[in-house]
Amino acid sequence: MRKKVLHTVLYIALTVFAILTLAPVAFLLINSFKSQSEIVASPMSLPLNWDFDYILTASQEINFFRSLGITFIVTVLSVALIVLASSLAGWAVARAKTKTSSVMLYMFTAAMLIPFQAVMYPLLSLFEGVGLKNILGLIIMYGGFGLSLSIFLYHGFVKSIPPSIEEAALIDGAGMIKTFFTVVFPLMKSTTATVIILNSMWIWNDYLLPFLVIGNASSRTLTLELYFAKMTSGQFGNPWELIFPAVFVSIIPIIIVFLLLQKHIVRGVSDGAVKG
Amino acid sequence: MDKYYRKWLLPISLPALILFFAVIVIPFVTGVLYSFTSWRGTYFAGGANAFESFVGFENYVNAFKNEKFLNAFVYTIKFTITAVIAINIVSLALAMMITTVSRGGAIYRTVFFLPNLLGGLALGFIWQFIFQNVFSDVLFGPQGLIHIPALTNMLQDNTKALFALVILVTWQMAGYMMIIYITGLNTIPRDLYEAAQIDGAGALAQFRVITLPMLMPAITIVFFLTLANCFKLLDQNIALTDGNFNTRLLATQILRTTRDTAPPDYGMAQAQAVVFFVLIAVVTLVQLYVTKRREVELH
Repeated sequence: MRKKVLHTVLYIALTVFAILTLAPVAFLLINSFKSQSEIVASPMSLPLNWDFDYILTASQEINFFRSLGITFIVTVLSVALIVLASSLAGWAVARAKTKTSSVMLYMFTAAMLIPFQAVMYPLLSLFEGVGLKNILGLIIMYGGFGLSLSIFLYHGFVKSIPPSIEEAALIDGAGMIKTFFTVVFPLMKSTTATVIILNSMWIWNDYLLPFLVIGNASSRTLTLELYFAKMTSGQFGNPWELIFPAVFVSIIPIIIVFLLLQKHIVRGVSDGAVKG
Repeated sequence: MDKYYRKWLLPISLPALILFFAVIVIPFVTGVLYSFTSWRGTYFAGGANAFESFVGFENYVNAFKNEKFLNAFVYTIKFTITAVIAINIVSLALAMMITTVSRGGAIYRTVFFLPNLLGGLALGFIWQFIFQNVFSDVLFGPQGLIHIPALTNMLQDNTKALFALVILVTWQMAGYMMIIYITGLNTIPRDLYEAAQIDGAGALAQFRVITLPMLMPAITIVFFLTLANCFKLLDQNIALTDGNFNTRLLATQILRTTRDTAPPDYGMAQAQAVVFFVLIAVVTLVQLYVTKRREVELH
């Protein structure tokens, strides 16, 4: 009896929290179909008519398909670079038990304490100097920033598997690189999933790095388009009839991916935290 | 075999090492060096190179005389303390509720996690409207549902804006931390609670004697992540107030300080960035040391 009461109270509390969590998203949805005056006059009510014009205008304004494509390419290539570089390094560092390898591991993990702001200005000036203040440079930068946590995760995983399987392949005469890709890398599947999820989540939504590297050039990412849409028209007051639908269309791809992969994402988050 | 691995250590780590040096090590070392010069971004004032425009600790002295920097420093610490406490309480409460109820937990977990996937900038824009229009007029304004002056015009006041930012990041990050707490709670054996119940321990005593100590590893991680995320917060700060009304956090301050002066003083910006790094390093290392020690003591 007491248990039943407790559970009812908990369900009510959870539902209240769930409504509070979803409210801003629902709010975003209904206001993506309204004119500026309707948004300001009655922000909480459903739109008078579900007018898709604002969504179409906003999609054009933020060059939706181009910026989505750029964000996608940047995220995929950056994450691929992180996975390749850090799985190799994590494996090598875990297996070679030398002074050099422990110094390397220490260096890679200690770098987690360096905030982006501490390297931001020299990094930009360095990359600009070698002609990499562009998409390619951006991908390389993400490759560098994603390393620390990823190497740490791979290293932790490799330490937990015995070297006997790969050593058998090595003794059979398969070279180091071939052994890695045919034997070791497939074994690391779960860590690779975690690394992909954790890195995609921040790279996809990142604002500052694209802002500094690409700025107002034509290859803007989704987040950058949103920023400039708000800033350039912001001088005449906030154009909510543009901002709401723009934010709305920009989050649709992430929500779809999340609903499809939520089990893996939730596991990736808890694995990444527990092993980290 | 060991010899073989040793021989291959460097060649195989080469891609990672190149990236690491190009993106982090070289810029970091240059950055520390430049913080002692009059770097102006594209040239060095008073000399042809970094060594000729060496100014000693002048940039650091100037940074600590700079009102905006000092203000951002204090504001960041106030914000981080408040936000870390708020996020931890909310996420732990959510995790405990979800692990207690028998059915439907997965749906709630999905809902609470959702805000994490959306970017800080996009969310900040929505919340800016919520604070400005919905809170100030519809809900808590003079003609609103209930009149609560503290919740109106939150973005136009330094202190209120701090709490607005705390509300936003709690709403956003609590779901992520909740996942870590749920994982931690699930590792606590059920029979511990049953034994405690037989001994007549109440809910509060069970929480203090069983849940909290057994949850220490998760608490260490959540504190580490929330501290780091809050200290480095930028997007939400820019989207909500854009640093107006003295609401710059340190990350925003370092980004914007080069626009405060003409010519932009990158040397001083770099000094602020080094101070920022030391602050983060010290706080996170102390936190890890303290919570790790508690883990050991409690086990």
